[in-house]
Amino acid sequence: MLRMFSNVQAGMLLAVLCASSVFCIGIVGCGGESSFPQRPISLICPWSAGGGTDRVARQLAVGMESELGVPVNVINATGGGGVTGHTRGAQARADGYTLTVITVELSMLHWRDLTSLTYRDFAPLKLLNRDAAALFVRDDGRFRTLDDLESAIADSPTAIKASGTAFGGVWHLALAGWLDSRGLPADAATWISINGAGPSIQELLAGGIDVLCCSLPEAEAVVAGGQVRCLGVMSEERIAGFESVPTFREQQHAWSLAGWRGLAAPRDTPVDRLEVLTEAIDRVTATAAFRDFMASSGFDLSLEGPEEFRETLGRQDELFGAILTRDAFRAVSGEHFGPLMFPAVLGLALLVVFAVVIREIRRESAVDATSEPVAGTGTGTEFNAPWRAAAVAASVAGYGLLSESLGFLITACLMLIVLMLALGVTRRVALATAVVASLMTYQLFGVLLRVPLPRGFWEW
Amino acid sequence: MGETILVAAEQTLFDPMIWMIVVATAFYGVFLGAMPGLTATMGVALFVPLTFWLDPLPALAGIVTMVACAIFAGDIPTTLVRMPGTPASAAYANDAYALSRRGEAGRTLGVMLWSSVMGGMFGAVVLMLVGNRLAELAGWFSVAEYFWLYLIGLSCAVIVGGSSLSRSLLGLLIGLLLSTVGLSAVHSQARFTLGYPELFQGISFIPAMIGLFGLSEVLRAAASQSSVRPKIFATGGAILGPAVRLFAKRLGPWMRSSLLGAAVGILPGAGADIASWVAGAVSKRRSRNPEKYGHGSTECIADACAANSASLAGAWIPALVFGIPGDSITAIVIGVLYMKNLKPGPEIFETQGSLVMSLYLVFILANLVLIPVGLIAIRAGGWVMRIPRNVLLPLITLMCIVGAYAVSGSPFDIALMGLFGLVGLVCERWKVSIGAMVLGMILGGPLEERFVQTLSGSSGSPWGFVERPVAAGLALLCLAIWIGVGWSGYRDRQRGEKSISR
Repeated sequence: MLRMFSNVQAGMLLAVLCASSVFCIGIVGCGGESSFPQRPISLICPWSAGGGTDRVARQLAVGMESELGVPVNVINATGGGGVTGHTRGAQARADGYTLTVITVELSMLHWRDLTSLTYRDFAPLKLLNRDAAALFVRDDGRFRTLDDLESAIADSPTAIKASGTAFGGVWHLALAGWLDSRGLPADAATWISINGAGPSIQELLAGGIDVLCCSLPEAEAVVAGGQVRCLGVMSEERIAGFESVPTFREQQHAWSLAGWRGLAAPRDTPVDRLEVLTEAIDRVTATAAFRDFMASSGFDLSLEGPEEFRETLGRQDELFGAILTRDAFRAVSGEHFGPLMFPAVLGLALLVVFAVVIREIRRESAVDATSEPVAGTGTGTEFNAPWRAAAVAASVAGYGLLSESLGFLITACLMLIVLMLALGVTRRVALATAVVASLMTYQLFGVLLRVPLPRGFWEW
Repeated sequence: MGETILVAAEQTLFDPMIWMIVVATAFYGVFLGAMPGLTATMGVALFVPLTFWLDPLPALAGIVTMVACAIFAGDIPTTLVRMPGTPASAAYANDAYALSRRGEAGRTLGVMLWSSVMGGMFGAVVLMLVGNRLAELAGWFSVAEYFWLYLIGLSCAVIVGGSSLSRSLLGLLIGLLLSTVGLSAVHSQARFTLGYPELFQGISFIPAMIGLFGLSEVLRAAASQSSVRPKIFATGGAILGPAVRLFAKRLGPWMRSSLLGAAVGILPGAGADIASWVAGAVSKRRSRNPEKYGHGSTECIADACAANSASLAGAWIPALVFGIPGDSITAIVIGVLYMKNLKPGPEIFETQGSLVMSLYLVFILANLVLIPVGLIAIRAGGWVMRIPRNVLLPLITLMCIVGAYAVSGSPFDIALMGLFGLVGLVCERWKVSIGAMVLGMILGGPLEERFVQTLSGSSGSPWGFVERPVAAGLALLCLAIWIGVGWSGYRDRQRGEKSISR
């Protein structure tokens, strides 16, 4: 159909395309770096979209956008229990255009030898909130106070099962640390590794575990419903909104532990840019919208400026270091069912099945070889031009290699032209389609939907 | 309950955003379905990066609508050029083409459209009736029961899906092994990461999915060059009228086929394509003129179309209730739900009651929208098929790349997507089941998690797996399934040996 274009039409089309591409690039802008910020800021969230940290990040992004006058894009760099996102945030170019929502795991991961990253790799900007840990049990009268629970655990070690997060997560530490502070072994309660508070609550209700350790807002619904009882919260003072819940300290248990979230930039970010960012964040966190959001989400707002936040981070690091390097906890970390057990079973099964399949394929090809001239029912076009598939694969690889330096527009356009020519499209159609498609994709995804696209030297 | 319905209706029907998404994805779905070689699953995989920037309901509405429309639109090239637009249309390709040759292309497509809409509606009703009930039951389940449930789901997928048991099993095991990359939910040590921090949390699901379902199809289409220009039949005459009259005469078979379709949809690993084969076969056995089947039987088409559309909603049942996908599309949906922090499971019916209710409405809405959009698609005839493939394939390649990159903005994901594209191509070549592999990748994590949790709960004794009565029952069921498979395999072999010796 496209072949019907006459030369004149095609020429006009190209002219329009060139004009529109110049226009688009003009919108994107490539001005000098006289003032900060000039271009979109990326806000890295180490946790997945929809979770608590992500919601805080997105709320913050909206506020910062209006304060700074540039788009602030949230990128969910999940993985490694927080390792991936924190690493990416710390290693990003220290120009103030990449910020990270750092979470309590930053104080824990390096003590567990999961990364070498510490809080010292960041320039802290603002502490946003703290979530104190709390202990919950089924409200069946078995445990009424912390002391009841403590003596039950002391009487029959490992009989009490607890959960609230994965093994070695912040809530696990909270429980183990409490036991340790009471002179009990840190693994006196058996920790079942369940990912997240939600499933742990279900397990508590189904009778699979006896104790739940997580933050107050996470278990609010079942506590209000009367099925679950909160024995105490591990904070210095009672939590706003949960005034009926006593603290550990009130019950003569000197123990407190909380998770936290904050905002940080890479360590070597220039001071003047940090100041601009800090001011903007101060204004955002002071708005009623932000405070309402935090309150309605059940996040305990706890604001600290850069200096204070840095000290808090130092203290947190020492605290978690003390817990995690203690012999008691080292013993807990030794898991009974090693990480390679399940893959080993699968690998063995795979070998067996693979052998069977290979034999099957051999037999089939033997049958095919004898009966091919007779059958001939296939269309004969399946996999008859493997080089064309290779061209597609190569274009993907080429895009992957070039896009980070050339930027999306140029790379996409080049890739489309080369691939279409390789597949036998006429030069004119290939050129026109490539230019239109890459510009449209850029506008639709990059500008309208704010999907991250690779940015090269020229920012587009 | 009544209040939830009202809230749901308000969220769905009075939200212009939903309408926009539904209409837009309807056209997108029709386009994808009508292009031979582009499947509904691929459409969903390419749509996923966009769902990142949508609220959960519009995201799910988009997927539901797109799939419903794509499965119908797959019938268009099937009828006009005997090239199944999606695998779900393959079961009646011969019938449809035979009717076209008699000049009945328009009427046939009308029957397909109406049957699809009605089948889809039936499926939605089944979803509504069964979903909540099953969720109540699931509230009793602890980790041991889930372990067996996942194992049963995986077993079904291996048995029902694919042509050969051993190759489905191979696909499944590869998928399960891939799922063990990175940190597990129960260990603090990452495995098989080869030093890439990107692999710590495991293989990123969306890029892998786009590679397996999107890029691999592009690679295959590119590698299979055909110089034959197909003749495309015209669609004229009355379309919907005769279809509705036929439908009114065949209410019984419609119920039967839709129910069959929904049941096949519920089975993990079996989706629309298997539903239409099964419904076609049953329809033939029950028909008064079975000799017509395969040579232009409208009955076969009506029944199979109803079944494949009904299976779509059926597949959502295990996906929502247990997090076990009913087909490859819901496998991706589960990934989307996790991304949106909506963990599939019995709780979702309580915590997200209005969302689930809205989802039901969306299924109805999607099928209603399919009527006008489908009519337009039929009238527009085969223009989609005239778009040169060589132009389209590079564009889809670009979409695959953009989608893979969008998830976390990392070139690593592009490489991952490319790699999985090649894996998909190789698997396709040797007929190793990609569907089973994806299921393995999704359920591998939870399966291992439940396995270790159950063991650590019982201090290492395997007794923990069958301690609770429900768990023991499920274990017996699982055992029975495999004994059944082994027995029928043994019988087949005996029969085979006999026939050879004769």
